[in-house]
Amino acid sequence: MTLHSSRPDARTDLLHGTLDMLILRTLQWGPQHGYAIGQTIRAQSSDVLQVEAGSLYPALQRLAKKGWVTAKWSQTEANQRAKFYRLTPEGKKQLLREESRWDELVNAIGRVMKAALAPGTEE
Amino acid sequence: MSISVWLKGVLRKRLDEDDFDDEIRAHLAIAADEKQSDGADPHSAQLQSLKEFGNVTLTTEAARRVWTPWWIDALHDQVSDVRYALRALARNPGFALAVIGVLTLGIGLNAAVFTMLKGMAFTPIAGVPRAAQLAVIYGETSTGRDVRVSYPDYQYLRDHDQSFSGLFGTSPFKPNLGRGRTGRQVWAEMVTGNYFQILGVRAQRGRTLLPSDEIAPGRHPVIVISDGLWRRDFGAAPDIVGKTVEVNNYPLTIVGVVESTFHGTTVVYDVELFVPVMMAPQLGFGSQQTSAGILSDRRAAVFFPQGFLRPGVTRAAAAARIDALSAGLASDRPLSDVSQRLRVVPFWRSPGGAPLVLLPTLTVLSAMGLLVLMIACGNIAGLVLVRGVSRRGEIAVRQALGATRTRVVRLLIVENLVLAVPGALLGVVLARQGIPVLVGYAEGLAAPERVFFNVGVDSLVIGFAALVACASAFAFGFVPALQSTRVDLVSVINADASPRGAARGRLRAGLVVAQVAVSLLLLVGAGLATRSVEAARSAYPGFDPSHVTAIALDVQQNGYDEARGRAFYRHLLDGARADAGVESATLAAYTPLGFLDTPARRVAIEGYEPRRGDDLSFMWNSVASDYFRTLHIPVIAGREFEDRDDETAAPVVVVNQTLAQRFWGGAPNAIGKRVRTGGGDGDWRTVIGVVADVKYARINELPHPYLYLPFMQAYRSSMTLHTRGSAPLVTTLVDQARARVAALDRDLPILRAKPMVDTMRGAMMLFDLTATMLFIFGAAGMGLAAMGTYGLVSYTVKQSTHEIGIRMALGASGLSVVRGFLGRGLQLGAIGAVIGVVGALAVARLLTSVLFGVSATDGISFARALALVLGVVVVATVVPAWRAARTNPLSALRHH
Repeated sequence: MTLHSSRPDARTDLLHGTLDMLILRTLQWGPQHGYAIGQTIRAQSSDVLQVEAGSLYPALQRLAKKGWVTAKWSQTEANQRAKFYRLTPEGKKQLLREESRWDELVNAIGRVMKAALAPGTEE
Repeated sequence: MSISVWLKGVLRKRLDEDDFDDEIRAHLAIAADEKQSDGADPHSAQLQSLKEFGNVTLTTEAARRVWTPWWIDALHDQVSDVRYALRALARNPGFALAVIGVLTLGIGLNAAVFTMLKGMAFTPIAGVPRAAQLAVIYGETSTGRDVRVSYPDYQYLRDHDQSFSGLFGTSPFKPNLGRGRTGRQVWAEMVTGNYFQILGVRAQRGRTLLPSDEIAPGRHPVIVISDGLWRRDFGAAPDIVGKTVEVNNYPLTIVGVVESTFHGTTVVYDVELFVPVMMAPQLGFGSQQTSAGILSDRRAAVFFPQGFLRPGVTRAAAAARIDALSAGLASDRPLSDVSQRLRVVPFWRSPGGAPLVLLPTLTVLSAMGLLVLMIACGNIAGLVLVRGVSRRGEIAVRQALGATRTRVVRLLIVENLVLAVPGALLGVVLARQGIPVLVGYAEGLAAPERVFFNVGVDSLVIGFAALVACASAFAFGFVPALQSTRVDLVSVINADASPRGAARGRLRAGLVVAQVAVSLLLLVGAGLATRSVEAARSAYPGFDPSHVTAIALDVQQNGYDEARGRAFYRHLLDGARADAGVESATLAAYTPLGFLDTPARRVAIEGYEPRRGDDLSFMWNSVASDYFRTLHIPVIAGREFEDRDDETAAPVVVVNQTLAQRFWGGAPNAIGKRVRTGGGDGDWRTVIGVVADVKYARINELPHPYLYLPFMQAYRSSMTLHTRGSAPLVTTLVDQARARVAALDRDLPILRAKPMVDTMRGAMMLFDLTATMLFIFGAAGMGLAAMGTYGLVSYTVKQSTHEIGIRMALGASGLSVVRGFLGRGLQLGAIGAVIGVVGALAVARLLTSVLFGVSATDGISFARALALVLGVVVVATVVPAWRAARTNPLSALRHH
C-alpha cells in the first residue's frame, strides 16, 4: 500500500482513516514533528509505506481539527525549529478505537480470503 | 445567534496559512539537513528535499480544505459557475432579457392559475389552517341532486358518529341587517354552537358562539360579527360587545368579533354575521311556512354537517359509518322522501364548496397555463440551442483542457438556472399584481354583493413557481446542453463549420413543429371560448329583458307583516301601472338568469304515482299578474295569472312546457290538471296555463320542469318589481319605478334598481372570465410561438448565408431564394399544424363543459387558428429570408 497520489482529494475514507491511525500510533511514543512522523512510518513499515508530505500535512490538520492532536513550535535535537504534534487524551481514545476497528477489519478480510479458497480445494 | 456572528465563527476556524508555510519550510530544512549529513552538497540537498516533498501548492490547498466545511466547498464550485454564467449572460443581454421575459410570462400565468387552484383545494376557507382536511356530509338523491340534512338528523349524526372529532352545521342565508332606510342585506351563517370551536376560529373581541348557545329554541338572542362589518359599520368601536343589532327585525346582542382573517365558510361570499341556529324561527330562516318548525322538522333541509376526521380515520371509513348511521336513521324513523344516501367528501368537492362551477374553468385554465409554459420552454430551448452553437468553440476548449462532460453540462444548467430564478421571481410578481385585477373584476361584476376570494400569493405559490422554474430550466436547458457538449473536438478547433449539423437541424425543426402545434392548440381553445361568449351573448334566453326594469325590495326591512306587505305590493303595482310610458308591471320572487339555482319545492302530481327514486322537486317562482306579458314569455295554453287569482280565489298554478310534456304529454292536456306543492300539506292547485321554457339560472342549462305560483297565493316579503315601457332609455323607467317606491314608503331601502339586462350579468360572468383568460393565454402563447419560430428560422437563414451567396452568385433570384426558405418553413408549419389539429380535436372535449352554443370541434375556430398560425410561420420565414436574399452575394461569400 502506498499513499502516493497526485490528487490529494481523491482518496477514500478508508485510506484517510488508515493514515490517521498510523499517525496517531506514531505519536503514541511521544511528540514528533511532521517530517519525523513520515520517516517513522516509513522505517517501521520497512520502506513499504511512503507517506507523501501532500497527504501527511492535510492529515495532521484533520487530526488537529478533530482535537486528537495539538501542535506546538519547539526545537529539535539538532536545534532546528519544528512544529511538534502531541496526542491529546481524546486522541488516545481514538487510537484505541481505531486499533480495534483495524483488528476487526483485518480478521474479517482474513476470513474472507480463507473462505474464498474453500470451494477451489473441494474440486 | 445572528447569521453574521455564526458566519464569522465558521470563517475564523480556518487554516493558519502563515503557520502552515512555516511548517513546510521547517520540513524542507530538516529534510535538507539530513541529506547534507548523508553527504550531499547544500544545493542538491535542497532540490532533493523539495522534489520529495511534492507539490507545495496542492498540499496547502488540501490542508485548507480540511478546514472548510463540505458545503462551502460545494458552494464554491457553484458560485464560480454562477459567476461565470452571469458574466457570460452579461455579454449577451438581449438573450438574457428575452429568456427572462418569456419565462416571466410562462411562470406568471401558471402561478396565477395555481393560486386560484390552491385557494380552492388547499386553503378553501380563509383563517382556518387545516380547512383542506374538512370533510362534509351531504345527501344525494337518486337523481343526483344534493340535499341538505335537517336539524334533527344533524343532531342524530352528531351524537352517534364516531369518525369525526366533532360535527358542526352551518347554513348561509341573506338576512336584512338594520331596518328602514339604513337597512341592507348581508351574508350571514346560521351555525351550531360548536362551529367556531371545531374550526379553531377565535374572537378578537368578546367571545365566539359556544355550545351553550344551542340549548333551547329562541333563547339565545346573540350574534357574532365579522371584522369587516365591525370596521365598516361600527368604526371599529372598542365597546362593540353588548351592542344590539337588528337582523330581520329581531334584536340580537353582539357578543364578539371574529378574527380578521375569517370570512365564513361560504365560499366566494363575504359572510358578516354568525347567528345561533336556535334563533332560526325568530329570524324567519327559510320561508315563512317552514321557519317555525325548522328545528324539529326532519324534512326541513338546513345543513351540510362537516368536521375534521379523527386521526387515523379515512374518508372511506367515515363514509361507511355515516352510511350505516343514515340507514339506521331511516329505519328508525322513516321519512317518506325520495331515497337518498349520505356522502362524505372533502370540503372543496362539497356542494357548498362552490368550485363545482369553477372547476371546469380552472381545469381548462391550468391546461392552458401548462401549454403556454411548454411553448415558453420550447422557445427558450431554441434560444439556448442557437447560443450553444455559437459557444461550441468555448466548450470544445473546456473539454480539451480536461473538463468532463458532466462538468460542462452542469455549467450550462447553472446558466439556465441563473435565467430561471429572475424569471420565477418576476413571474410571482406578475401573478401577485395580476390576481387583484382579476379579483377586482369579479367583485365589480358581483357588486353590490360582497364577495371574498381566498387567493393570497403565499409561500406555497412561491414554492410552486420555484419548482416550475427549475423544471423548465431543466427542460429547456438539458437537451441543448447535451447537444452542445457532444462536439467533435478536432473538427471544432479546426473551425470545421458543420459537424453533426444535420442532427442539430432536426432538433431545431422539431422545436418549430412543437411550437406551431402547441400554439395551435391554445388558439383553438381561445377561439372556441370567444365564439361561445358570442353565442351566449346573442342566445335568446326565452324572455325579453330589454326595456324591462328590476327593482328589488324586501318590505320586511321596514317591519311590514304579511298583511301590510300585501297591501304595499298591491299599491305599488297599481301605481307603477298608472305611470306614464309603462306598458305593464309585475312582481317576481326570483329574477331569471341569476346564475345560482333558486330553491326547489317538492311537488305532487295528481294521478301520477312517483316511482322509487323519482325526484319530484322543482324550482318555482312566485309572480304577480302580467308576469308573462311583461317578460314576453309566450303562453302556450290556457291563460296567465290575473288580478283575480288572489288569496280568496281557488288555488292555481302555471307550469312550463317541459313539466306539461313530462307528466301530461303536452301543453293542451295540462290545463285543468292538479298539482300540490310544498309536500303533503299544501292545497291542490289547478293548472290554468302552460308557458314556454326560459333559461332560469344559466344560459347553458338543460330544460327542466318549473312552476309559477300567483304572488297573492304565495306571499313573500322580498320581491322584484319589473316594469316594461317604451322609453328609449331603460334608466328613465328605473328612476320612475324608484320614485314610485319612495312615494309609497320613503324609509324602505331599495336593494337593487337596475335595467333587467344588468341583473343577468352574473350568469355571463364565468363565460366572460373564462373567455378573457383563455384569450390572454392564447395571445401569450401565440406571441411566444411567433417569437420562437422567427428566432429559429432566422437563425437557420443566417447559417445558410454561405449557401445563399453561392446560389445567388450562380444566378438565382432573390425571389427563388425566399421561395426555397418559405417552402421549408411551410413544410414544418404544416407538420406542426396537423399535429396541433389532431391534439386539439383530442382535448377539445375538456372544453365542452365551459362552452356554449359551439361544438368543441367548431370548424370556424379551427380555421381561424390555422390561418393565424400559418400566417405567423410565413412572416417568420419570409422576413429573415428576404433580408438574407438582399445581401450582396459577394459579401455573403466573403463572410465565410
